[in-house]
This record gives sequence, structure tokens and C-alpha cells, in this order.
Amino acid sequence: MIIKANVKEALKSLITAKQRTILALIGIVIGIGSVIGMVSIGTVVQNEALKQFRDMGIDIVSVTKDYERQGSDEGFNIDHIYGLPGYSTLVKKVAPYIVSSTQYSYAGKDLYVELMGVDESFFDLNKLYIREGRLLSDLDRNRFFCIIGAETAEMLQKAGIKDIIGRHFLFGERIYTVVGILKSLPEGGGMRPSGINRGAITHITTAMRAFTTRDITTFMARVGTQDSKAVKAVIENYFSKKAGGLRIRVRTAEELIAQMQKQMQLFTLLLGAIGSIALIVGGIGVMNVMLISVTERRKEIGIRRALGAQRTDIEAQFIIESVTLCFVGGIIGIILGVIISYVFSHFSKWEFLISQSAIILGFCVATAVGVFFGYYPARSASRLDPAAALRE
Amino acid sequence: MLRLIDIRKSYQVGPTAVDVLKGISLTVEKGELLSIIGPSGSGKSTLMNILGLLEQPSAGTYSVEDTRITYDDDRTLSSLRNKMIGFVFQQYNLLPRLTAVDNVGLPLIYRGISEKEITERSMEYIKKVEMQERFHHKPTELSGGQQQRIAIARALVGNPALILADEPTGALDTHTGQEIMSLFKRLNEEEGITIVVITHDPKIAAQCRRKVELRDGIITG
Repeated sequence: MIIKANVKEALKSLITAKQRTILALIGIVIGIGSVIGMVSIGTVVQNEALKQFRDMGIDIVSVTKDYERQGSDEGFNIDHIYGLPGYSTLVKKVAPYIVSSTQYSYAGKDLYVELMGVDESFFDLNKLYIREGRLLSDLDRNRFFCIIGAETAEMLQKAGIKDIIGRHFLFGERIYTVVGILKSLPEGGGMRPSGINRGAITHITTAMRAFTTRDITTFMARVGTQDSKAVKAVIENYFSKKAGGLRIRVRTAEELIAQMQKQMQLFTLLLGAIGSIALIVGGIGVMNVMLISVTERRKEIGIRRALGAQRTDIEAQFIIESVTLCFVGGIIGIILGVIISYVFSHFSKWEFLISQSAIILGFCVATAVGVFFGYYPARSASRLDPAAALRE
Repeated sequence: MLRLIDIRKSYQVGPTAVDVLKGISLTVEKGELLSIIGPSGSGKSTLMNILGLLEQPSAGTYSVEDTRITYDDDRTLSSLRNKMIGFVFQQYNLLPRLTAVDNVGLPLIYRGISEKEITERSMEYIKKVEMQERFHHKPTELSGGQQQRIAIARALVGNPALILADEPTGALDTHTGQEIMSLFKRLNEEEGITIVVITHDPKIAAQCRRKVELRDGIITG
């Protein structure tokens, strides 16, 4: 039996029964669409989350004062932090930072900007690059210079402020001079401090003079090993020696990635379940259409059998019809899914990706649904008694 | 070529068995033009189904070219129908979605012949029934007589040993019916094709060289 002729036949018969075909297609389109949409969104989210690590590397750890066990006691002593690389060769570089607890506004306008205090190595560890002006260095100690994030700059420009570099801004009671604007950063990921795009950054020594809270609660470090257990042990050891009462938490890139992957799995599982239910419903629709098609074409089946069609020929004919139906639904569904994930990433301001594996998956699932739900109707068609079918 | 020995067929209708064929013995020789005539209910359609390997007799033996049909393998039966038998039905039974050429080519599709060859052979046989003006017409665009010619081309295309025609003129007017009968006679005389025509019309039966009368499931003459 020639497959090409069969597919042509199948398309003709599906076009003849337009309404029914469209109804069955809707189910398949929604099913495949949601599966593809979910896999594509998953890919986009994962890409976005991992982008930070591709950018920063996975040799970065973040050390935080453990609030759960510590309460609101004092944070780290800055000299202890700077002493860490000298204590262990596992720690290459450290970068403490503090974030102001109050937000600032500009000239009575509602431009809320969070101010951070950092040191020179912070820029290197977090891979922050300047778009205009210059970065801060450790020569800017105690000086009221700041650089601002990309979104902050945009906000100021929208408010009508031009020539941002060199301007003076009042944050709280201090006047800061803007010396640079940062390049925009991807959001999310959990390692890099959030809000850099929407914030402003000054030197940590300046911040410790100006801020009301001077506690350092977090620092970042570049480490010289992939062994996160060893890193944790060394850092915990060091601080229990230096500051006995201080409880800390060390989060490695590895841990964050593992945690993220767990979340992704849950997300995929959930959406996968929804998609599968939609596909089952769609598949039942296809089966229904195929059963009606078989009933309506009993006579045709009788004629074909009289002319010498084997049972397998009849079975193949209806399975091909069902697969053709699902394949058409699959194509539309894949387009729909890609559109859904495009809209999703557009509004989340995430980088849009087309997942090739999702498209291949879509076609495979569509074919599988076609075969699975077409099998029973096709089989019942092939079992019809030819003499009885001809009498219709 | 065909040999029926004491063929019986009964159907179970509710609790009672209805005997439709009560012992038919019949031999059809190669190159015959035979009519089987009988009123409705005489069992002639059942006989045609048995001859056409569409139904299995309840008892008796049926041999085609000295090979006894065993009925235990659908694959063999389908293949025999495909290669040995060409059907012509009262209602033509063309597939409405297909053109004349595609309808005629149907039996060949199940032989795994290339599409090109199927089309060539289909056209050749459509010419043989003088329908070459209607290659790409669909059945609804053809008259009854034209449809029956296409159906005959379809029956011939596989080069079968036997044409089984079930009331081939039953849905046609007298004149067109006569044309179809002339076509059968020509095919029988010129090409030596064995044809069995099943009919209730004595005028049709009279045109065949041999006539078998069926009444109440037995051959009466």
C-alpha cells in the first residue's frame, strides 16, 4: 500500500468532513500547544537562570549572616572578611557589600533608588561593566561618588534629566556625584545581589559613613575549588575562630543551580501534567472523529475489501488518517506553543529561545497520539465483515 | 474453473436458523458467459458473495482453478479477490471522492504497483470501456451508465479470471442496460473473459450463453 496515496486520501477525507475535523483539531492543538509552550517556557526560564552563572562562573560563593539562628545581632567585621583570603588558599578574593535600608528620592519626584556600598573586587566578581563614565575603585574610599544601574539611568532620562554623569544627587542627607552608568544585567539566578539595575552604588567605606545601618550581612567570594563542602568548612571554621558567636550560611553556585533545577523539574512536571490531560482529551476527540469516520465509510471499507484490500491495508488507511489529523494539529499546536512562550518571555523581559527539542517532541507526541487513539477505530474498521459492509 | 459442490448457507436469525442456500452444485468453465437468475429472496446475492469470496458457506466445497478454498486465512482470501475476481455492482460502488482514473486504479493499489503504472493501466482500461473523455471526472459528474462503465473498467484492471456482476443493469434504463450487456458480450467474445451475471431480469439472462435458475436456495434449471 502506497503511503503517499494514503496520506492524500486521508487529507481529502478530512477536508470533506470539515466541521468534525476542526473540532478534533482544537483538542490536539490545545494539547500539543500547551506541551510545547511549557517546554519552551521551561527552556527560556532555565536559560535565563543559568545565564548569570555563565556570566559569573560557578566559582563564586555568597556568605550571609544566618538570620534564623542569629537574630538581628551585629554582622560581619569588615577586617575579618578581608582576612579570609590570607587564611585559606581556597578563597581567592572577597567582596563585602551593604545595602541601605532606606530608599531615596530625587527632587521631590518619586524616583526610588536603593544605594549599595561595595568595594572594587565586587565589580569583578559580579562581572559588572560600565556603559558610560568609569567604575569605582578602592581609590574612591570615603568619597561621595556613585555609579548607577541601567534602569536607574533610564528612569532619570525619562524624568527629563540629561547628562547624568557629573551630576550631583541628594541621597538622604549626602550629595553624591555620578561618575558612571552600568550596563544592563540579566535578572534572576540568586547569586548576584538583586536590584543592581535599579540601584546606585558607592564605595563601601563611604556607605559605612553615611548609612544608618552599617552592618555587613553578606559578602561574596571567589573560591579556588569545585569542592563546595571544603569551601564551606574553611569559611565556617574561620569565622568561628574570629567571631565565635556569628552564625553564617554559605551558598555555593552548585547549590543554587541544584535548587533551581529542582524548581524547574517541579514546574515542568506540573505543566507536563496539564499538557498531558489536554492531550488525552484531544486524543479522545480524535478517536471519536475516527470512529464516526469508520461508521460513515462502512460501505467504502466493504468496497475496498471486495477489491482485495487486506485487513492491514484498511488498518493502515485509518491510522494514517488519524496520524495525518494529529500531525496537522501538531503543526498548529507547535506554532501556538512557540507564540505562547514568545509572549511569555516578551512580557517577562527574558531572552526568547526556540527549543528544537520541544518541536521534535511535539511532532513525536502528535504522531504517538495519532497512532494510539487511531488504533482502535482502525482495527474495528479492518474487522468489518466485507459482505455486511457492502450491503449498507 | 469454478466448482461448487453441495454448497449450503444458513443464517441464524434469533433462535431459528434460516437456510438460504440448500445444496448448490455448479461448475463454471473458463470463457463462459453465465447468468444466474432468480426472484428476490432466492439466495442469488448470497451465492454471489460466496462466489466472490466475501462469505463463507456453512457447508460444501468451493474450488477456484482446482484449488479448494479453505477460508481460514483472510490474507489469502483478500489476495485471491484482488487477483482472481472483478466485481460489478448494481449501485456501481465507486468511491465518490476519487476521479475515474483513481477509482479504476483501486485494485492495483493493493498490489504495491507504482503510482505511474497504476495510472497508465487505469487509463488503458478506461479506453477499453470507451470512457476516455472522462478520465478526471468524479462519479457524481457521470451518468449511471457511465459510472457502470467505469466500474467495469475497475473490475477488469487487475486482469482477473472472473467478472462477477450483481444486477449490473438493475439501476439503468433499458437502453443503457443493453449497452452494458453488449459490453459484457464483447469482452467475453473478444477477450475470453469469464463473466457471471446475477439478475432477476429474464431479458438479461436470455442474452447469456448459459442460464442457471435459482429458486428458494436450489438450482431449478
